[in-house]
Amino acid sequence: MSISFEKIREDGLKKIDEAKDVDILQDIRRELTGKKSVISDMLKKLKDLSPEERKSFGKKTNDLKMLFFEKIEEKKNELINNSSSVSSDFDISLPGNLIKQGTLHPITQMQYDLNDAFRSLGFEIFKEDDISSEKFAFDNLNFPPDHPARATMDTYWIDGTENKRGTKRLCLRPHLTGASVRYLLKNGAPARFVYPGRVYRNEATDARHERAFFQYEALVVDKDISFSSGKLMIDTIMEKVFGRKVNTRMREGFFPFTEPGYEIDMECLVCNGKGCKVCNGNGWIEVMPGGVIHPNVLKSANLDPDVWSGFYTNIGLDRLVMMRYGVDDVRLFHSADLRFLKQFR
Amino acid sequence: MKISLNWIRKYVDLPEDLSEKQIAYDLTMRTVEVEDLIDTSLKYHNIVVGKIINVNQHPNADKLKVCTVDCGLDELKEIVCGGLNLYEGQYVAVALPGSSVVWHGEGEPVKIKENKLRGVKSYGMISASEEIYLGDIYKDEPENIMDLGKIEDIKQDELVAGASISDVLNLNDFILDIDNKSLTNRPDLWGHYGVAREIAAIYKLKLKDLLDEQINIQDYKSLPKYKINILEKEKCKRYLALKIENLYVKESPAWLKIALKSVGINPKNAIVDITNYVMLATGQPNHAFDSNQVEGEEIVIRNATKGEKIVLLDDNDLELSTDDLVIADIEEPMCLAGIRGGKKDSVLDSTESIVLEIANFSPNTIRKTEQRFGEKTDSGIRYEKGIDTERIDIALDLSLDLFNKIYPENKITAYGEVTNEHTASSEIDISQDFLDRRIGTKLSEKDIIDTLSILGYQIEVRDKGAYKIDKSIRKDSNGNPIEDKYYHILAPTWRSTGDVSIRDDILGDLARMIGYENFKRKPLPVEFNKAIKQPKEELERRIREYLSFRCNFYEIFTYPWVSDKYINAINSDIEKMVKLATPPSPEQAYLRSTLITGLLESAEKNLRYFNEFNLHEIAEVFEKGKYSPSTDEEILPIQKMMISGISVSNSNEKAFFDIKGVLESMSRYCHMEDFTFKKIDKPSWADENAYLNILSNENIIGSFGLVSLKSLHESGINNPAVAVFEIEMSKLKPFTSRTNKYISLPVFPQVEEDLSIVVDEQIKWKDIHYAIINKCNEVKFKEVYRGKQIPEGKKSIMFTISIGSDKGTLNSKQIDKKMRSIIETLKKLCGAELRS
Repeated sequence: MSISFEKIREDGLKKIDEAKDVDILQDIRRELTGKKSVISDMLKKLKDLSPEERKSFGKKTNDLKMLFFEKIEEKKNELINNSSSVSSDFDISLPGNLIKQGTLHPITQMQYDLNDAFRSLGFEIFKEDDISSEKFAFDNLNFPPDHPARATMDTYWIDGTENKRGTKRLCLRPHLTGASVRYLLKNGAPARFVYPGRVYRNEATDARHERAFFQYEALVVDKDISFSSGKLMIDTIMEKVFGRKVNTRMREGFFPFTEPGYEIDMECLVCNGKGCKVCNGNGWIEVMPGGVIHPNVLKSANLDPDVWSGFYTNIGLDRLVMMRYGVDDVRLFHSADLRFLKQFR
Repeated sequence: MKISLNWIRKYVDLPEDLSEKQIAYDLTMRTVEVEDLIDTSLKYHNIVVGKIINVNQHPNADKLKVCTVDCGLDELKEIVCGGLNLYEGQYVAVALPGSSVVWHGEGEPVKIKENKLRGVKSYGMISASEEIYLGDIYKDEPENIMDLGKIEDIKQDELVAGASISDVLNLNDFILDIDNKSLTNRPDLWGHYGVAREIAAIYKLKLKDLLDEQINIQDYKSLPKYKINILEKEKCKRYLALKIENLYVKESPAWLKIALKSVGINPKNAIVDITNYVMLATGQPNHAFDSNQVEGEEIVIRNATKGEKIVLLDDNDLELSTDDLVIADIEEPMCLAGIRGGKKDSVLDSTESIVLEIANFSPNTIRKTEQRFGEKTDSGIRYEKGIDTERIDIALDLSLDLFNKIYPENKITAYGEVTNEHTASSEIDISQDFLDRRIGTKLSEKDIIDTLSILGYQIEVRDKGAYKIDKSIRKDSNGNPIEDKYYHILAPTWRSTGDVSIRDDILGDLARMIGYENFKRKPLPVEFNKAIKQPKEELERRIREYLSFRCNFYEIFTYPWVSDKYINAINSDIEKMVKLATPPSPEQAYLRSTLITGLLESAEKNLRYFNEFNLHEIAEVFEKGKYSPSTDEEILPIQKMMISGISVSNSNEKAFFDIKGVLESMSRYCHMEDFTFKKIDKPSWADENAYLNILSNENIIGSFGLVSLKSLHESGINNPAVAVFEIEMSKLKPFTSRTNKYISLPVFPQVEEDLSIVVDEQIKWKDIHYAIINKCNEVKFKEVYRGKQIPEGKKSIMFTISIGSDKGTLNSKQIDKKMRSIIETLKKLCGAELRS
């Protein structure tokens, strides 16, 4: 037997070593160890050898086969570890595939943020319909009979009812506060609820004025509750919504349905209270009128003002959203303009 | 409303270290919103007194002079000037470089620069009064400049070259610009004296009397009566008339003109200026009639008669209604009571005597008349807030004082007064316990009395008996009040016309004067007795989020009023729609009965910038009908919350099936009861072939489909395919919890096979699915193909079926058998041919 194990070994190892990829390596494996390989030929000759020869030749052949297997596996791992699925020109700077997702309206986003904040404080969510009556929009809320807001110049009255009175005179609600009495009539006190929604005013529109806009009102009614709880509540809510402490101040304000009434201003977030165009130079933005619920309103809700008290907080949603994003025209909220809405993804 | 701090200083001595900014801030916090604080001296910046040293002819211009002027600077300056009244030694107003002036008193202010005029350098400008905003106060002869030495009010020793003109002429002031809206409930604050009272209360200062010396009104009361006849007693509670003779029309003294001008009122003549000043000081409007024009020497306060007119100063007629209150003589109306005068009674240059009216009119009548004529006047704005009758007295005092000072020679020859009703002080009992409870901290008796007295309240402390006036008073274990003290309070009349009437109003005054920022911030009491659970609310949120986040819809809001164009485009039934009495515009009078109109309008707008998009809106729609959410007496139209969406794309198939897909998955993703689809009743906007109604328990709760070509066309949408859906929110039933079900995974492998069959066009997917679903575990649609290899009137449908057994793995024989059976069934029931 003139077989040079040495040569087969050297040639085989060289081939393995020079293999450029896994496919070539696969061919080499077949060539070296497959059915028609040198090793295979050698094993076929075993039967012609003497038992002694057979033993040593067989062992040598097997060792060589194992060595090739081992080296091929080694080479394979080496090739996998050092290779790429794609060419080096693969353009990683191309943009990723677009995720198809719409948006919630920025007003809804803010509303949900507030819902989350208020619900964490145990508030229920309540909704009133858009069309209400003078009784609920004004009479129940202690608006004097000749209050200017009752005029057709201010409120959108429903055709055919505009000259009637009370429950017979219907309107697109000019504020949310009427809903508070609806809730209290239905659920009684103590109560703690929010009622977001859209309200309507008959007025000329510009970048700061709209005919339809969004409010978010909260009411707490309880026994002997002090309005000083209102400020802490607002600070808590603002912090949750804006993710940081927002300075607020509480000052005198007047509304027919409150006594006392107050305004809550928040520090302008555009200039951090230094004074800028958005806040008219004074560093504060009026966002939340509120106050102690007027005894006459409690009476409208069949509650005894000697027993119950509470306070309103009315948040101007549009203004809060404008503040959050620096939106400069309130009319955009009703524009349905995708160029605007796409910015709130 | 504008308030001058110089004016305020007449009534209250402000501490020197109290800044104007602080006053504006504190007033905002305690009383009314100060929107702006204006430093009037800024306007006169760099305008100084100059002394003319000599005057020379300009070398290149006949009409110009070159003056050498001492402006108090290091050196004398040359200033070119064309004034006709220049002389050496004259004190003039020099607008130095850097100041702003108004050329010839007209247009926007212009900045002065060092300049050359016809070749000669000029350091600023020697000014006429109108050029430095003083034309109303100091009038120059034509072509003259301001001659400071001839102004009586200026003390000669103040005329120093370089002195600021605003110092010399007392023009340094700060103006508070107050938001009128924050004053609506405070008729007492519509004059400087009322605001001064608030400032005094905020800083605990003394409010001075309005006049230094009391005027003895009794003297006038004995004069001959001026006849007053009030026919409308409800509308005019008190009327006072004073005939003043020996007057003539002249200019007011400078201080008066400066005061008026500072708060935005143009001076006219001394008589009119006095009436304005009195109003601005006390908040009480008043009016001067030329007494010669008052026919019959009698004032009649009555409603206008039908067809009556007032001729206005500009010769226009104002046609009156029988609800309008007028001030008339015995013949005809002279002015619109409390709002504006007419031409007849005006103070003219020829006026020598007047009838001075100081009266109280009811806010209602004033507001209604103002609304009718669409105008608000300074006087009307004050009356409509509700002025107390007693204010007439202080206004009379101040008027007499001013007439005596400005017209020392005046003679009062007649006096008339009719009082039908005096404003009564509100009487209020308030317990110490009520204050303690509601304010949350205990106020001392002294604090309460001090705070309220400065505001004009009279307080009587009653140590016992609170339990009688406050039934909710807190009691100790023996049932005795913990605190039995209460206060019997008389509100000042100027707060008693509606503003202050109940104990909560007193609480309010105390709270604001102590300052809201000074109260301890208390946490809300918390009780854990129930978790907030509102499945319907949560469902609405899930649906919005599903549409926006999973389905690629953008949420929009549109107005509830809808244009006639869109109503017509979708053939809405106008008879059922709710209409506005005063709509935003005539063609937007109807309120929407469906959200589809808003979606179409929004799609049309967005098609200018985008080709394919999806929008959704959740809002209420309205329909005539009866609905009582709270009480039986209140009957509202039907109002339904709707969920809607629109899909705009290039192909009808895509638009339709995108929407269908969204609806099919909605119940699963949003955790609610599923709904089904059936073609029953075509919505007015729908394409007749491509719509489906959405059903819940056999009831139609919504629809979806392609929008008809007609509706699209009339909405201005031309090319793209548009599908929409609309579902009534209240008909959706949320699951109370998650309800996904688990089905055991198949034990034996399932075989999936793709099938491609050719069927007639009228065979629907539903037929195919129905035919074989019993023979398969699942039948999944893949696609429809129409084209070259498929004969006309036929279509090819490809789908995947999944077969298997729960008894063992199927062998190829069993599979073949099942497949043959399926194909046979398809042939028999659907006339299907297998596509090779």
